[in-house]
Amino acid sequence: MKNSKLFWTITIFSFVLFGLFNLFRQGEAETPKVPAPPQVAIDSTKCIAPADSMRANHMQVLYKWRNSSVRTGHRVHVAANGSRFEKSLNTCLGCHDNKLFCFNCHMYANVKPKCWNCHLSPMETP
Amino acid sequence: MMNQQRREFIKKTAFGVLAGFGAASGLVPAFSLEKTILPVWDETPVSGKIRWGMLIDTRKCKKDCQICVTACHHEHNVPHFKTRKDEIKWIWKNSYKNIFPTATDQFVTSDVLNRSFLALCNHCVDAPCTRACPTEATFKRWDGIVAMDYHRCIGCRFCMAACPYGSRSFNWQDPRTAIHDPSLAYPTRQQGVVEKCNFCSDRLVRGLQPACLEACPEQVFTFGDLNDPQSDIRMLLETTVTMQRKPELGTKPSVFYII
Ligand code: SF4
Ligand code: SF4
Repeated sequence: MKNSKLFWTITIFSFVLFGLFNLFRQGEAETPKVPAPPQVAIDSTKCIAPADSMRANHMQVLYKWRNSSVRTGHRVHVAANGSRFEKSLNTCLGCHDNKLFCFNCHMYANVKPKCWNCHLSPMETP
Repeated sequence: MMNQQRREFIKKTAFGVLAGFGAASGLVPAFSLEKTILPVWDETPVSGKIRWGMLIDTRKCKKDCQICVTACHHEHNVPHFKTRKDEIKWIWKNSYKNIFPTATDQFVTSDVLNRSFLALCNHCVDAPCTRACPTEATFKRWDGIVAMDYHRCIGCRFCMAACPYGSRSFNWQDPRTAIHDPSLAYPTRQQGVVEKCNFCSDRLVRGLQPACLEACPEQVFTFGDLNDPQSDIRMLLETTVTMQRKPELGTKPSVFYII
């Protein structure tokens, strides 16, 4: 109940704000110098594949992600069920926000991936 | 024209509202690593459609100003080593004689000799660095940017020998020891790889202009698509006499200078 009230308050408030913005913007519209990227609905509430297959294959997934996003500029992953994800470590770590998520297994299995030589590891962020 | 702009704006504003909802309902992760800024590009970009370029108006550039250099180096976590050998630079300043060593003009005005000139990777069309690199860690992107795939660099430094402009620096030491004010906007590099200016490809993908341009208080920079005859940069190239660094080498730089 409380949630739906909040929802409507936010909706109405947003539309009022939106209207006001447009009123003031009439005269001074400026051309964007760099094209704004088209919008993609990105869902980060679920995993891109079942946990078992991720446990076995996450390294291949990350390898493919880094090659296709860095080298061909294709930055959106479409999962088997059609949901879309940005190819980014943040997509993973946004959900798996336990700071030891990567380290627990890697320490146990004694594997030393080089990701955090350059990317900031969850242990290094506030 | 006007309608197009308003459309853009409405699209953006509407998305802003959605993004607000997303954050409130936990759809967009509130994770503070290297910040993911949505939306992102959905499709594989068409190769060769865009060619990013930059024009530097050296008349406006203040001699001792280092604002753009500092902004770039902060944003991209470029380490600050004190010794010449270890020095890492993406964008830097030097004198006319050093930036245009092969210019053939004989009596250069003292005004020009006194100015400082910005230098950065030229994102050459025929980039010798990409030919020298044995691992394709240095490669020509779909949008004209000469990019580094740090994942692949083996640190052989062939590219540094190949680049005629000194645009590349090698990490002799662990760069993290010399980053005093780390930024969350971009990863660092590791010891043993080469690095250089990326034309802010990290910002372009978020619809932002390069960091140096945004930081400069004197509007020295113009950035845009060299393939689009209507872009600001092409308009300026059309109306102004410009220079490039060592044009005789045939690398076809994408960075132009107004002297
Ligand atoms: S300026 Fe140097 S590093 Fe940049 S593209 Fe040209 S050759 Fe390569
Ligand atoms: S140092 Fe790295 S980028 Fe340069 S040529 Fe060697 S592998 Fe390529």
